[in-house]
Amino acid sequence: MSSGDELLSFARAALRLAQAAGAQEAAVSVGAGVSVELAQRDGRLEQATESRSRSLSLRLLVDDRYSSHGTADLRTEAVEVFVRRAVAATRLLEPDPDRALPPAEACGEARGVDLDLWDDQQPAVDPDQRRAALARFEAAVLARRGCASLRSATVYSGDSRSEGATVFSNGFESFARGTSFGLGASLTLVDAGGRLPEASCGHGATHQADLPGHDALAEELWSLGLRRLGARPAPSGRYPMLLEHYAVGRLLGMLLGPMSGSALHYGRSCLAGRLGQRIGAVGLTLRDEPLLPREAGSRLADGDGFPSRPRTLVEGGVLSTYLLGQYFARRLGMAPTTGSTSNVVLAPGARAMEAIAADLPRAIRVESFLGGNANSTTGDFSFGVRGTLLEHGQAAQAVAEMNIAGNLFDLLERFAEPSSDVHRHGTYLVPSVLFDDIQFSGV
Amino acid sequence: MQAIITDIPPLVDRGAATAPGCGYFERFGVTAQLLHRVLCEALSQGGEDADLFFEHATSTMVAMTDGTVNRASTGVELGMGVRVVVGDQVGHASTEELTPEAMLSAARTAARIATGGGRRDPAPLRPQSYADRYPMKRRWETVGLQERVPLLRTWEAASFARDPRITKVQAYLSDGERVVLIARPDGRLVQDHQPMTVAFVACTAEEGGRRESASYNLAARSGMEFWEDAARGEHMVREAVDRTLFLLSAGAPPAGELPVVLGPGASGILLHEAVGHGLEADFCRKGVSIYGTLLGQRVADEQVTVVDDGTLPGARGAINTDDEGTPAQRTVLIDRGVLRGFLHDEISARHFGVAPTGSGRRESFRSPPLPRMRVTFMQAGEHPPEEIIAGVEKGIYCSSFANGQVQIGAGDFAFFMRHGYLIERGRLTRPIKDANLVGNGPEALRRVRLVGRDLALDEGGWTCGKDGQSVPVGQGMPTVLISGLVVGGVG
Repeated sequence: MSSGDELLSFARAALRLAQAAGAQEAAVSVGAGVSVELAQRDGRLEQATESRSRSLSLRLLVDDRYSSHGTADLRTEAVEVFVRRAVAATRLLEPDPDRALPPAEACGEARGVDLDLWDDQQPAVDPDQRRAALARFEAAVLARRGCASLRSATVYSGDSRSEGATVFSNGFESFARGTSFGLGASLTLVDAGGRLPEASCGHGATHQADLPGHDALAEELWSLGLRRLGARPAPSGRYPMLLEHYAVGRLLGMLLGPMSGSALHYGRSCLAGRLGQRIGAVGLTLRDEPLLPREAGSRLADGDGFPSRPRTLVEGGVLSTYLLGQYFARRLGMAPTTGSTSNVVLAPGARAMEAIAADLPRAIRVESFLGGNANSTTGDFSFGVRGTLLEHGQAAQAVAEMNIAGNLFDLLERFAEPSSDVHRHGTYLVPSVLFDDIQFSGV
Repeated sequence: MQAIITDIPPLVDRGAATAPGCGYFERFGVTAQLLHRVLCEALSQGGEDADLFFEHATSTMVAMTDGTVNRASTGVELGMGVRVVVGDQVGHASTEELTPEAMLSAARTAARIATGGGRRDPAPLRPQSYADRYPMKRRWETVGLQERVPLLRTWEAASFARDPRITKVQAYLSDGERVVLIARPDGRLVQDHQPMTVAFVACTAEEGGRRESASYNLAARSGMEFWEDAARGEHMVREAVDRTLFLLSAGAPPAGELPVVLGPGASGILLHEAVGHGLEADFCRKGVSIYGTLLGQRVADEQVTVVDDGTLPGARGAINTDDEGTPAQRTVLIDRGVLRGFLHDEISARHFGVAPTGSGRRESFRSPPLPRMRVTFMQAGEHPPEEIIAGVEKGIYCSSFANGQVQIGAGDFAFFMRHGYLIERGRLTRPIKDANLVGNGPEALRRVRLVGRDLALDEGGWTCGKDGQSVPVGQGMPTVLISGLVVGGVG
């Protein structure tokens, strides 16, 4: 199975099996993919992995009862047994008619857009070329070792392609395929007291040409690594927090979680009853952008088969939407939006991060979180942080073993200024952000 | 001792096996002769060692919300991976098609890690028998949804009945069986049948405009018989409800460095993050762990003995064999304060010239094995827990945890407390919740002041992530006093 037609016909056949076994409604997805990952350390290829995967997933409605199923065993006779058992098992549940598929007229793909998610280079990549490119990247990393004591550096590359077909019993059909490329590296330095601070960075893209160059990535890696030397806690207190783009996605996750239909329905959302209300500072604007060309989260339709469209999530600090798929929208008695985000874009500001930092006599730049968690019911959070104490934008001390804690709404109220530079981290496209007056605990 | 190679009825209907010799996977057309051919192919480019790892897993989940058992899901995993090893270099390829062509192609791909050298012929395969630590009395495959559904109903009803402030209840039951087969060029052929069940009850409570949620879960390597003891479900419900209600009156702890008393059981997460990961020997052989050079040295007080054990019957982290075919064992990591060992897979064991510790684990056939923890705990000390609390002037007491993380080289770790108490003048006073605690691994070990006599193993469904691979683990701890950790509180 490789082409779209084959996947679609396989999905249609599985749908027919489900219907023949007694399912009134069904949504079937079939996927296939190949991924290759390489790691190189100390001048040698350390690991090469290739994985080939394929899967069938089913969502069934049988006499108003709902279940979902997945299998990697796609032998014809195994699929027949699997589908029959899935339908039979569904009958043993209790009815939940809200699980019905959306009406046919609500489903379809966004039109007139070329998402450009497939790079013809991927299937053509030669194993020897992959290894040679990785060795060149390693050389670029090692060339910058300078005066710092390097313990170990590992460089990584990966590429993959996947194809998927979806068929609903209401007539909706779609086929999508995509490629992805990644390049990353980590290094471990030797510091005082036997500590071995590590740093890593990585970039992903749907097209090979969109990856950063070896030199730029090596530069970024060393810059992150050298920042970690001598890290220790700073004194407890309230500081402006410059949250670097690396860590912004984790924080946004704390906002997106309670926006979901499941959190709202199960009483675990601190955003319940807040739709249309101000939940943060006016500078906070967050959008879901499913139709951006070449972005990893882009899609023509969502999991319910609704055509994709851009959507404002938070505008000027006001909560503009919940993330409601068909099921939870029905449960909550609201109109569906989309059940999941695609590419999450945080609106940038006017000044570069460095300019923002230079204006602050004293601030902590947070580059990553360590552990921590947030309570989606109340918005209370507490995260370990790693970063740098800055004075007028200059590094004064590397910071580790500190925490920030507070409540989501209080934090969003202190959202002071996003930077002008936007960075891609997976499906997040985010600037760095200055927050005023955040409680840090250390020594 | 029980043989691990047993004849288990098919999970998927299929005709009779076509050739004898390799147990369970015969039903997928995998014969001893085919295993030999694929191993030959794997070693054809000069690989020093290799393994074939087959996996067939089935799982079921049933959920109850809003008074109805309205959701179920099932899953099937099937595939195999070929690993070829040259020194510390690894080639790995996996496929979900168990045809000879697909397996030989995977073997050729994995073999490319080697670049010439002598060709090794694999030895004839000999099935191995290891101790069975999780025999099932009632296999999940024989248990219908009709039997699972009443469990959920009972748990849900008991949750609402326990307190009127409970407004929402979700109950889940998941279970699964995984059969793995490992074939090695030295002739080892190891099959293991691994059950797992996890259930949880999640509650939301409201009182005076305040709303809180919490959950409790139980996990075991067992068949359906685990839940036939109704006391287990009752215990889970009590914990879920009481933990939710606890939060209604709990506040944030103070911020800054404080003495921390870790309660028995789940506090083992400290060992997992602050000690265990740093002793996984792949990090040590690469020289990137802060513990890598401390073998044989004193790293903690004499009271501190830390063990990682894969042999606890029925435990979530128990294994009969690791995923390289080495029998599980009990590994002493820290013995009365002295660092005695690392957790090894075969590659790191060869590097250090020691025997593997049965710690080579993988999430699935899609990934090569890595040194991983199993059930990590600190042995009991001598102090009564109340005496440990009584000695703290101002600090915090932690009783439950959500998650943790560690930086292997710097040694910095974090773990997230969900429930606890403020300690004031030797007494537990105000309930506290939701705080991240951070520290440095070796420093935290040195700061262990008192070890209680009340060792408890946590019964929950912990999952450990490393290099994108998740494996089930367990942890345990007696009550322990650490003289200072940074508490992510407020004020």
